[in-house]
Amino acid sequence: METTLPRGTQMLRIRPWLGIAAAASFVVASVMALFWAPTDAVQGDVYRILYVHVPLAWLAYLAFVIVFLASVGWLWTKRPVFDAIAVASAEIGVLFTGLFLVAGSIWAKPTWGVWWTWEPRLVTTAIMFVMYVGYLLLRGLSTDFSRRATRAAVFGIIAVIDVPIVHLSVLWANSLHQLPTVLRAAGSPALDSSMLLTLMVSLGAYTLIYAYFMTARVSLEVGRQERLWTT
Amino acid sequence: MSELGRIGLVAARELRAERRHPDGVVAAITFVAVLVLLESLVVGPAVARDADVASALFWLALAFATILGTMRSFDRELEDDALEGLVALPGGRDALFGGKVLALSIVLALVAAVGGILSLVLLDLPLALPLHLVVVVVLGVIALPPVVVVNVVLALRLRARAALVPILALPVLVPQLVAATRGASAALSGDAVGALSWAGLLFAFAVVYSVLGLTIVPAAID
Repeated sequence: METTLPRGTQMLRIRPWLGIAAAASFVVASVMALFWAPTDAVQGDVYRILYVHVPLAWLAYLAFVIVFLASVGWLWTKRPVFDAIAVASAEIGVLFTGLFLVAGSIWAKPTWGVWWTWEPRLVTTAIMFVMYVGYLLLRGLSTDFSRRATRAAVFGIIAVIDVPIVHLSVLWANSLHQLPTVLRAAGSPALDSSMLLTLMVSLGAYTLIYAYFMTARVSLEVGRQERLWTT
Repeated sequence: MSELGRIGLVAARELRAERRHPDGVVAAITFVAVLVLLESLVVGPAVARDADVASALFWLALAFATILGTMRSFDRELEDDALEGLVALPGGRDALFGGKVLALSIVLALVAAVGGILSLVLLDLPLALPLHLVVVVVLGVIALPPVVVVNVVLALRLRARAALVPILALPVLVPQLVAATRGASAALSGDAVGALSWAGLLFAFAVVYSVLGLTIVPAAID
């Protein structure tokens, strides 16, 4: 069986640098979010959780879109590295979606007065979380490598339909959740410029963390696949 | 033989098997009937008569009935070792998906008719727009099977399959269930535009998942 990564050497080489960049940008983003960005006129300091909540949401979407692309890659080429990318991204996506829900819940308590409410964005996000837990369960219950990868790839393609549903649910249904602030159909983001800059730095930092986790997890998976083929 | 001919052949074979051993359809109808009866006992007759509540429970029952019927259908194939032969035929994988979806939609229409009549009679539901309700139910029974068949195929021959299929299928079915529930509720309460809008969404989901299923499910059948 062919593996496209030469024992993960390329990833091993860039991983420490990626880790340093992720840690440094995370520190910068945290300082900007906590001390530099101005206080919100309506919500006060509580709004600062935005700089964690929105990047987590972005990473959840990104992770599941990567699962979709890697799933298409596996079905198209049958190269094991695509399966490694899919499982790595799904695991990280489930982690970030869980944190996204927790951060949202922490933000909801002081602003809405409840930890949880049955409104479309929250419910569709929770469903997306359950869907990818199901994806990991499907992988866990399959034993044969090729069958597991194929079954998971098919489900990874079907499940991605939930990502736009989650994002657009606040537009489609009467929602307590605020409307999109950055990616708006109306045009420019509805944020103060310094808040927007802090948010962009946070998004960059979290994306680097995702990339670091991905390199680490894909390396592990590729190594596991290589051991599988040599035993 | 054309693609449609093969799908028709598998569907006819599936319906013949269901007629000879109607355990799947009987289980599905009984399941829906029990849920309709339980509904008024659990939430009380006043709440059970609410169009939103009655529609939601009806579609949830149908979703589980679809899972039940689909799993029974594939179990029958596995018990008779018939799957390998079908898959080995040219175009057999596409025909398997299409034929199962078609046959299950027909079986589900029967289950929905019995369950719907039971709901209307036992819960004494007001029925403002009967034709609109029929349109919503028909599109609903077309929209549910493609998703369920895909997920049953993915979980085929896996341990804990009975638990895995609902976990995989129900989250994917949420948009269809919301559309079917809102559409049926609108038809019961006399909102023609609402009923037809939700029916349109159901049609869109039926097309999307049928095309997706025909495109990728053959790859998942081993």
